[in-house]
Amino acid sequence: MKGAELVLQVLQQHGVDTIFGYPGGAIMPIYDALYQSDVKHYLCRHEQGGAFSAIGYARASGKVGVCMATSGPGATNLITSLADAMLDSVPVVAITGQVSQTVMGTDAFQEIDVLGLSLAVTKHSFMVRSVDELAATLHEAFAIAQSGRPGPVLVDIPKDVQLAEIGYQAEFNAAQPTAPIYTSLVNAAKARALIAAAQKPMAYIGGGVHMAGAMAQLQQFLTANPMPSVTTLKAMGSVAKDNAHYLGMLGMHGTQAANLAVQQCDLLICLGARFDDRVTGNLQKFAPDAKVIHVDIDPAEINKVRFANVALLGDMQQILPAISAGTNCADWLAKCAQLKQQYGWRYDHPGERIYAPLMLKQLSERMPDNSVVCCDVGQHQMWVAQHIRFSSPRNHLSSGGLGTMGFGLPAAIGAKLARPQDTVITVSGDGSFMMNVQELATIKRFRLPVKIVIVDNQRLGMVKQWQQLFFNERYSETDLSDNPDFVALAAAFAIPGHCITRKDEVESALEAMFTWPGPYLLHVCIDDKDNVWPLVPPGAANEEMITEAKA
Amino acid sequence: MNHVLNITATNTPAVVERLLQVTRYRGYELAGLQLTPRHDAKSLNITLTVSGDKPIHLLTSQLHKLYDIQQLELAGSELAVLSA
Repeated sequence: MKGAELVLQVLQQHGVDTIFGYPGGAIMPIYDALYQSDVKHYLCRHEQGGAFSAIGYARASGKVGVCMATSGPGATNLITSLADAMLDSVPVVAITGQVSQTVMGTDAFQEIDVLGLSLAVTKHSFMVRSVDELAATLHEAFAIAQSGRPGPVLVDIPKDVQLAEIGYQAEFNAAQPTAPIYTSLVNAAKARALIAAAQKPMAYIGGGVHMAGAMAQLQQFLTANPMPSVTTLKAMGSVAKDNAHYLGMLGMHGTQAANLAVQQCDLLICLGARFDDRVTGNLQKFAPDAKVIHVDIDPAEINKVRFANVALLGDMQQILPAISAGTNCADWLAKCAQLKQQYGWRYDHPGERIYAPLMLKQLSERMPDNSVVCCDVGQHQMWVAQHIRFSSPRNHLSSGGLGTMGFGLPAAIGAKLARPQDTVITVSGDGSFMMNVQELATIKRFRLPVKIVIVDNQRLGMVKQWQQLFFNERYSETDLSDNPDFVALAAAFAIPGHCITRKDEVESALEAMFTWPGPYLLHVCIDDKDNVWPLVPPGAANEEMITEAKA
Repeated sequence: MNHVLNITATNTPAVVERLLQVTRYRGYELAGLQLTPRHDAKSLNITLTVSGDKPIHLLTSQLHKLYDIQQLELAGSELAVLSA
């Protein structure tokens, strides 16, 4: 067989039945092999969109997402999405075609140094020099993408390698068993002592918990050690809905209760999170009285930005039961409950215009159980995190670390293909939506019943908010009042839609969207003056939040 | 402050670029680099000298994650003034 056919055989050995990509000259042999393959290829309309779909597929399912592109511009178009997967630790394998080795290094047509470009945006990358290395390299790529802290892996395959003949017999179980995760419980006793002694313990939960498959262990830990908890953007949905001590998201746009409680705690138990600057605000003033227990699979995160009094490395599933000590902090729980009560969200927004937080709360209450919500980046993204309640982090796909506008629509395509039985909704902003709008063609082609909600304030809202607050209301290049007619745009892709402007239209519009069997676009016009609150200003400590009343 | 790292790495085409990219991105300056293939040419012995004010563990913990790095030892630290 040819190298190109071998690629597809190896993908199938790893259980891959869905891939996203776009053909081109240097990857034509693989596309030729796809023509008669059982692997289902979904044609995106821009390689960035295809790779975001692979990310959405991976994040919604927990499997490895696979995308393909040709050399040169095809490969460079993948870079942003690979960076997104890198910063959010998403297992993705990207396969790129490369010009033949005979012309490599001559600035051939559509030749670019993809291996060089990949260094900063992948966990690892390969250039395959011989068809004899091809199968082993692809197996390794899958192993690296999933092992330890997951991440994207790129495999660059020259065209002559794709065309070369090889006698390949697929081994029965070539997919290597995942290596056991090195786990050290040496510090477990120290952690238990800190937890038992703490008067104001706090669990700070990141994406690493669900990625370790430790959701059950987390609930058990929080039950056996009653304490308040907060989550990062990536971990929304980690804490069971019936846990009364959960305070919501912390950080720049976190809840007031979460931020105030974290600032007061005396023990911060960081589980699979990394003290990101959007979480900590002013790092020197973050949780100033707290000792830290840091649990992570990546040793490089320990003591990276915040000193850990006790660190435990390895498998969250083993570590959580090992550090359970029992807590005795009734006064602290009562204090946090009082904060939660005092600073609950308010939805009594005056006037007839649609208030996005309330609309998203209504969406949250109306959407079927286990729906997946994808979003883009900006004000609507923070409103989604604040006002939609999730039952699992796999149901909330948001570009966290890289903060990539244009993520939502293609991620929703991947999520829908990963979980066809579940409702998939993408909540986008009028700015972000236009960044990968071409993927409406993918939705049309495959008749994917993705629900699209555009929260439209005719602005690049988050930048506008910062210009208003921190740049003397100098609104440089954030006016989008000449947006296209989004319902007409959807109609051009045979997607029905509806536009609403008033609060009293929301319920019936949501019902129409969810009742419609196919894809649907709901255009929600909001006031451009609405901002995201609370907000921790740059350089401030997390207790110094600006709220709407103070602004 | 100069730090000397003794590294054994798999001899892959981009391994030195990877080392240098991580060193630069994490905020350290290159102060010296020596590289010798081992007898089978499949591995390289690399001595990487870097300078930087940040604690060196912030760099070594990131370099450890590079897939082509087999072994990494911090040989020692010396004041840049003394080594000049």
